[in-house]
Amino acid sequence: MEKILEIRDLEVQYFSYRKVTKAINGLTLDLKAGKVLGLVGETGAGKTTLALSILNMIRSPQGKIMKGSISFSGKDVLGMSKQDLRDMRGKDVAMIFQDPMTALNPVLTVGEQIAETVMKHEGLSGEESWKKAEKMLETVGIPADRAKEYPHQFSGGMKQRVVIALALACNPKLLLADEPTTALDVTIQAQVLDLMRTLIRDNGTSVLFITHSLGLVAENCDEVATMYAGEIVEYGSIDQVFGGPLHPYTKGLFGSLPDLSEITDRLKPIPGLMPDPTALPEGCFFSPRCPHAMDICAKKHPVDIDLGGHRVKCHLYTAETGARSQA
Amino acid sequence: MSETMTNTMTNTSKFARFMRRTGKNFSQFWRQLARNKLAVLSLALVIVFALVAIFADLLYEYDFVTSNSLENALLKPGESGVVYYHEKDIEHTFILGSDNYGRDILGRLVHGARVSMIIGFATVAISFMVGGILGAVAGYKGGLFDTFIMRATDILLSIPTILLAIAIVAALGNSFFNLIVAISTSMIPGYIRIVRASIIQVKDQEFVEAARCIGAGDLRIVLKHIMPNITSPIIVQSTLNVGSAINWAASLSFLGLGILPPKPEWGNMLSEAREFIQYAPHLLFAPGLTILLTVLAYNLIGDGLRDALDPKLKR
Repeated sequence: MEKILEIRDLEVQYFSYRKVTKAINGLTLDLKAGKVLGLVGETGAGKTTLALSILNMIRSPQGKIMKGSISFSGKDVLGMSKQDLRDMRGKDVAMIFQDPMTALNPVLTVGEQIAETVMKHEGLSGEESWKKAEKMLETVGIPADRAKEYPHQFSGGMKQRVVIALALACNPKLLLADEPTTALDVTIQAQVLDLMRTLIRDNGTSVLFITHSLGLVAENCDEVATMYAGEIVEYGSIDQVFGGPLHPYTKGLFGSLPDLSEITDRLKPIPGLMPDPTALPEGCFFSPRCPHAMDICAKKHPVDIDLGGHRVKCHLYTAETGARSQA
Repeated sequence: MSETMTNTMTNTSKFARFMRRTGKNFSQFWRQLARNKLAVLSLALVIVFALVAIFADLLYEYDFVTSNSLENALLKPGESGVVYYHEKDIEHTFILGSDNYGRDILGRLVHGARVSMIIGFATVAISFMVGGILGAVAGYKGGLFDTFIMRATDILLSIPTILLAIAIVAALGNSFFNLIVAISTSMIPGYIRIVRASIIQVKDQEFVEAARCIGAGDLRIVLKHIMPNITSPIIVQSTLNVGSAINWAASLSFLGLGILPPKPEWGNMLSEAREFIQYAPHLLFAPGLTILLTVLAYNLIGDGLRDALDPKLKR
């Protein structure tokens, strides 16, 4: 299948006074055209940094893409000219931000904000783009005459729908949804996700769905990647990963969810905390928290092992035999 | 050439139609402003003053208000006297009285409006333009630009504003234009600091990042997304500055720089009147109240503008 997004060996670091924060460390990830890829991981795993890297929007001089390549439908994003980047952002690749309360400009009407994008990227006249903005709002279930209203006149869920209308206004090929429902309450979450699913299906948009909720991934995605300390530790289809998670971290994530079929007093969290990104451990980044840690884990960084499309980065597995030891 | 011409033309009309569609047209803005009765009253007052300044020559001849007639000195408001003017004796009523040289105070106020209104408006416009651009660059770009512009601003701020203005007028020579340049220059640091601080506050908010992520360039982000968010501090600063500018012009005139007598100017009249505060307080009240009214009007207009431009207050 055609790959719309190919990220190879990406490394992003943030620099502060005498400290280097290694946000993304040798990340490799593919997104197939028309698919929804769920990216799960704890706070601080580098999910948002990854999304911003795809738009080449890592803020310099604090942040820098150290090495690696990102190619979006065959074009090298990191080597694009400023003008090409601006043409790409919003038109080919759009992003939905985590918090709709702050992602909209408080002094512009929502219609203006949508029309602005359309006018710039599709070269429509003012009137046409305004009509398009009204149409987009209707698509997300907001009456067209509310286009003249300002963001503070909308509720949180409606604002997020405006943001979705804004992101989808130019029919992007790739949508980066950065925790699109985290700031919303559960009933609204379901509504917004439903809407996103319909729009994505209708337009054939590929989506990078960033979240920390495994439930949302199971419901919405075709594939899933687990991110830990700036790298993908496990990648596979929903069936593969949810059917039999391989990496101890993914297993830990599943283990920390409540199980409806048994009576439990306490959930089982993963012990310990994410490693400090300014001082990552040698060897496997997860080894200090891993219940299966072996001697080699502290010394050697594991490589990607492909087990029939299900990839995992762990010393427990080898390419030839699958599982080496199930301690 | 003609192609670019038509291009810009369609762009402007595109923009005009866009503004109409979005409901941000003038009539709506005006309705909003009209809710604030004080602001409308103030606007009317400023317009009247401006008209008086424009048509000053029709109300009083310039020579009449600058020539002495010592026999009419220090008349009370409403008193009349005989003035020898154009080789004739004219019976004249001094509506606001006369000053120590027997000149009509109302006439001098009318002609002084020309100078004072221009100073108040032009200095604010110039310093806002220059300070706004420098502050925006410093705040938005950061880094070396920021350091350079802000340290230069600190140097300007370390000199007392009035001293700076004196130095500039002294260096450039004494003229109306140089007076405006001097006062504007002393106001620029204030604008740089206000605009820079406000931009820094706004530029890291998510909607700016969102604008960049839909492909907006730096100029568009600053002008369209950031500037409308920081209008209130700028408007407050500007309306206050109109008053200060008139006062500074007065101080400079008093020191013999800027507007020189017998040319009438409000601040100038005020400082001349101080000597007679005991015998003829009306000399002081007339220009003083006029300055007060102007400054107050500008402030109230500023408040009205700020409220009318804030979408959260729209009803």
